[in-house]
Amino acid sequence: MEHILACIDASNYADSVCEFASWSSKRLNLPIKLLHIVQRRDAVAARGDLSGSIGLGVKGKLMEELVNIEAAEAKLQIERGRLLLSAGEQKLRGDGANDVCSLHRHGGIVENILEQEDNARLIIMGKRGASHEFATGHIGSKVERVVRASNKAVLVAARKFVEPNSVIFAYDASPAANRALERLANSTLFANLPIKIIMADMDIDAHRLALTQAAAKFDPERDVEAILEQGKPEAVIAKFTQQFAQSILVMGAYGHSPIRNLIVGSTTTAMIRTVNVPVLLVR
Amino acid sequence: MPNFLTMKREWFSNVRGDILAGIVVALALIPEAIGFSIIAGVDPRVGLYASFSIAVIISLVGGRPGMISAATAAVAVLVLPLVRDHGVDYLFAATILMGILQIIAGYLRLNLLMQYVSRSVITGFVNALAILIFMAQLPELINVPIITYALVAGGLTIIYLFPYLTKAVPSPLVAIIIITSLVYYAGIDVRTVSDMGELPSSLPAWLIPNVPFNLETLQIIFPYSFAMAAVGLLESMMTAQIVDDLTDTPSDKQREMKGQGIANFFTGFLGGMGGCAMIGQSVINVKSGGSTRLSAFVAGSFLLFLIVVLGALVAIIPMAALVAVMIMVSIGTFSWRSITDIRHHPWQSSVVMVVTVVIVVWTHDLAQGVLAGVILSGLFFASKVKAIFNVDSQLSGDGLSRHYIVAGQVFFASSDDLVEAFDFKEVLDEVVINVEQAHFWDISAVGTLDKIILKFRREGTNVSIIGLNDASAHMINRYAMHDKALEDADIAPQH
Repeated sequence: MEHILACIDASNYADSVCEFASWSSKRLNLPIKLLHIVQRRDAVAARGDLSGSIGLGVKGKLMEELVNIEAAEAKLQIERGRLLLSAGEQKLRGDGANDVCSLHRHGGIVENILEQEDNARLIIMGKRGASHEFATGHIGSKVERVVRASNKAVLVAARKFVEPNSVIFAYDASPAANRALERLANSTLFANLPIKIIMADMDIDAHRLALTQAAAKFDPERDVEAILEQGKPEAVIAKFTQQFAQSILVMGAYGHSPIRNLIVGSTTTAMIRTVNVPVLLVR
Repeated sequence: MPNFLTMKREWFSNVRGDILAGIVVALALIPEAIGFSIIAGVDPRVGLYASFSIAVIISLVGGRPGMISAATAAVAVLVLPLVRDHGVDYLFAATILMGILQIIAGYLRLNLLMQYVSRSVITGFVNALAILIFMAQLPELINVPIITYALVAGGLTIIYLFPYLTKAVPSPLVAIIIITSLVYYAGIDVRTVSDMGELPSSLPAWLIPNVPFNLETLQIIFPYSFAMAAVGLLESMMTAQIVDDLTDTPSDKQREMKGQGIANFFTGFLGGMGGCAMIGQSVINVKSGGSTRLSAFVAGSFLLFLIVVLGALVAIIPMAALVAVMIMVSIGTFSWRSITDIRHHPWQSSVVMVVTVVIVVWTHDLAQGVLAGVILSGLFFASKVKAIFNVDSQLSGDGLSRHYIVAGQVFFASSDDLVEAFDFKEVLDEVVINVEQAHFWDISAVGTLDKIILKFRREGTNVSIIGLNDASAHMINRYAMHDKALEDADIAPQH
């Protein structure tokens, strides 16, 4: 059963994730699966015992202590998670999405999303999770890991939901971008929305040609605009997203190896960080 | 595929806890490294360098973040004869070979063999290890001035009572500092670390072991390397399981095996002895809040810092203080519950546990103890399964044929019982053996069935078998002979 996988946690992105889910569920005519993953703090780090002395039955005692600490916390987190899920479900039903189910899991966030993605057409998650709530202007550690490991499109929700009325497509003629282009041209999610294909690069013939070919992929009836502008991709794209605040940004993601990103930095990450519109990442 | 984000999680997700725990563990590594160098009959340097290099290399390439590996008792007690008869260079060569053997074991996925090591064997192993660690302290407690006992008792008192005062500092460290100051300022004449040998004042350097590279050397070191590799992997796999359970996180056992191999391989070239994971120190690490690779890395590097920079201070530590810490490690490693469990566990489990302990303490080789324990658990298991076996029979109305129904597990241990269940003296025209609810596991079982059929035939009885299940049928069709021409086979299959 194909569905939309919406991942929520205690961060304040949960509301907008739900709204994006109901928007895309109406456009794709698919049911929604709300996923929340119970995160408990590691009891080992929480104990703060530096005595380093081990006595009679230390393994059993330590085990018991760790289990008790984690059990108490997990119970609390499960309770919170249930509230989150039921609030999300109510919100979605209020929005008119009837086919909603909840899924509550233990374990790693990334691992769980990957386990659940088989039947997902689209994965929706917030830009930052509860653990990175304070770091505005950053993206959470999970987004990159999910996008890299998943073979589904990932929609990174902005903090506030605004119904998208146009699509900005960041194009750099790379294989990843061409694959994203194919999918965008045939997507149901963005059917009938006007498209702006933006390339941030030198104004030379080769680039103009690539851009014209890209625009030709779309239905001639469609409102497609191709723009070539010189400058750093993140700056150029950010400028356009500010200009069209009701747009959704689509881009091929993480075409480079993690090692290169470590040294050079990742365009994808920089882009998600700087724009305030939702971003759909396609690998 | 380990990527940058995984690395970040495995190294820097718990920085404060790891650094503090690593420092606590480093202090708990010193007594063991020095103590077991002495047991192995080598300079303290050999154990200290080994502990540093194994801990640091494992933190980089191991498969179980948060586990502590270093020069250990289990390995040290094995190498004494090698050092005594051939010298320390052979120990370095044996350590390098131990590493190679462990890497091979990792590629062969020998960690899967741990499935056959029962819980009783593991408990026996842990208890035997604790006893070995304790026995290793005895030379420091025999023929020494009476004051030594007072110092050891004082040290233990501080270790166990100080945490009630504050848990912010490692109590073994407090014990070492107090006992050392007392001995130093009161001028008490007891043995100190400096009496044990020269402490290194430099960083370890690369060396090629000074041994002839020929077959003869290989013959000398191979048995030792093999035992060291086996014991090292056993203790590492058990410790990894303990850390898995405590932290409730999975680990990559195969990668851990290869990592142990890589660490020992390089340690041999640094002039260190072989090592493996340490149960006691890993528990100390988790208890102090260490959970990632950083904790093992800090433990190893801080240990090197202590001995190279603070060597002069380490040299005046009385052995009594270190013995107190080692007794603590031994008490913490021993599974005290297993003693009370003896009363209400099945007697077979207790026998396996005790035999494992006795053989280790007797041979000083943990691998032999585990082997004995595994064999014994296998025998007990076979004897239990063998009891799940039953033969019923019914004589037909006319008294000319009998219908036997065999149910249960038929294998080498139960095959004699199977033969005894049939009455060959009964005069019959026909025998039907229904094996619908029986499973024939091995060629002993098939051979026994053959034997029964042939015996009946010799009495002039016709035999038919019904209801073979698939697995048994496969065994019987492949290996049985009663249905093949007898002259083809002149020897019945033997188990």
